[in-house]
Amino acid sequence: MTRADWVIVISAVALLPFLYALYWGNAAPGDRVLVLVNGKQVLAASLATDTEFTVDGPLGTSHIKVHGGQVRFTDSPCANKLCVHTGWLQHGGEFAACLPNRVSLVVSGLNNRYDTINF
Amino acid sequence: MTTGTSPMTANRITQAFRCAVTLLAAALIVTACSHRPHEHHEQLVVFGTLVDITIFDADDKSIARASAGITADLNRLHRTWHAWETSTLTAINDRFAHGEGAIVDAEGMRILRRAQELSIASGGLFNPAVGKLIGLWGFHQDDAPKGPPPPAEVVAELVAKNPQMSDLTFSDTAVTSGNPDVQLDLGAFAKGYAVDRAIGIVRAAGIENAIVNAGGDLRAIGRHGGRPWRIGIRNPGGPGILASVEVTGDESVFTSGNYERYFDYEGTRYHHIIDPRSGYPADGATSVTVIHTNGATADAAATALLVAGPEHWANVARQMGIENVMLVDKGNNIHMTLKMAQRVQFEGEAPSVVIVADPP
Repeated sequence: MTRADWVIVISAVALLPFLYALYWGNAAPGDRVLVLVNGKQVLAASLATDTEFTVDGPLGTSHIKVHGGQVRFTDSPCANKLCVHTGWLQHGGEFAACLPNRVSLVVSGLNNRYDTINF
Repeated sequence: MTTGTSPMTANRITQAFRCAVTLLAAALIVTACSHRPHEHHEQLVVFGTLVDITIFDADDKSIARASAGITADLNRLHRTWHAWETSTLTAINDRFAHGEGAIVDAEGMRILRRAQELSIASGGLFNPAVGKLIGLWGFHQDDAPKGPPPPAEVVAELVAKNPQMSDLTFSDTAVTSGNPDVQLDLGAFAKGYAVDRAIGIVRAAGIENAIVNAGGDLRAIGRHGGRPWRIGIRNPGGPGILASVEVTGDESVFTSGNYERYFDYEGTRYHHIIDPRSGYPADGATSVTVIHTNGATADAAATALLVAGPEHWANVARQMGIENVMLVDKGNNIHMTLKMAQRVQFEGEAPSVVIVADPP
């Protein structure tokens, strides 16, 4: 091989991580959670960082917790707390909602194991 | 290879440098031109549930059109077919209770005729005529009932009235019931119909790859770019995923489970899928998952097969023309058709599986 060939091979190999990051960079399971109010996205949070936050809907404030790559409602101003009972979400495509407060969560990512969840 | 900087070597280095620059430029151009596979999530609060729409590779305008269309149509269906809030359906039920027929529009006629066909095919296990029974159990309200269960003699009395979809007769514009105790509740059909409508609207907006998931039950068309759609089936009642299936083309995946709506009273759990033969919650299966092209059919079949239970589901599936079925019994054993077994992939530890051969 000529030196030119080597340069090409080395350049190609050097570019691989860049391409990998570009196309598969979000491949980790449980990428991020999208938080929607009235079906419109109000924020997106990484599931890689433990955090707690609140989102305001028409009824009041919903509390959301991210922990260990999972996300859940911890409280919401609704009567039956179905959203809280839904529990932890971690797989891409999983979702939970507080319908009375119009707040919903969906786990999303580019290379999820599942596109949606049937139950 | 020579060392030193002969003109030849310098030329080679220049050539190599050019190649590298070209390669880098090519990589950047490829990156710039190929947009990322575009997966879009749209969530709508309609039909008393959360409708999650996953769309692959469509422009924003089409997505907005589909989203607005689905919102309008599902709101309309919700108002028309609500089983306990004042609706076209409750008006029909009022007429039936008074021994009168009801004028129904063309879409209503199609829906009721189809529900009748499915009910008859299921041997009455999918029975949307038992609205009174569902109401008696307290499931005609948004919140879960608190109990106690209704008195046994009242349940028995309602069951003895034997309301059936076959009691309905259709003229061109009107439907009448030969049994005044028929009260329609399309709970195990309407969601499937709504998902079918939503997919129609998605297609009309020019979108070819999408999943419409209404509170857990879904219909998927097309594919996720270079691969099929991957559907996770949640463990009945528990966290985590039991199994997954791949779906391409056009298929609906519906699950009925005893964990969806229920109440606990004095240590016993009472769920919302009532066996129309006994008047009590269906006992025997925890969940049934059905895959079928048509959402309304899959919806009705999942309910009928849950009522049929682990002993009889295969016969009912055969009568209803359903080929892909997975039933989880109370002991967490899985029962499947051969067709379903060939496409289900279990996540984690493989459970005990009983495979039932498909009909010849």
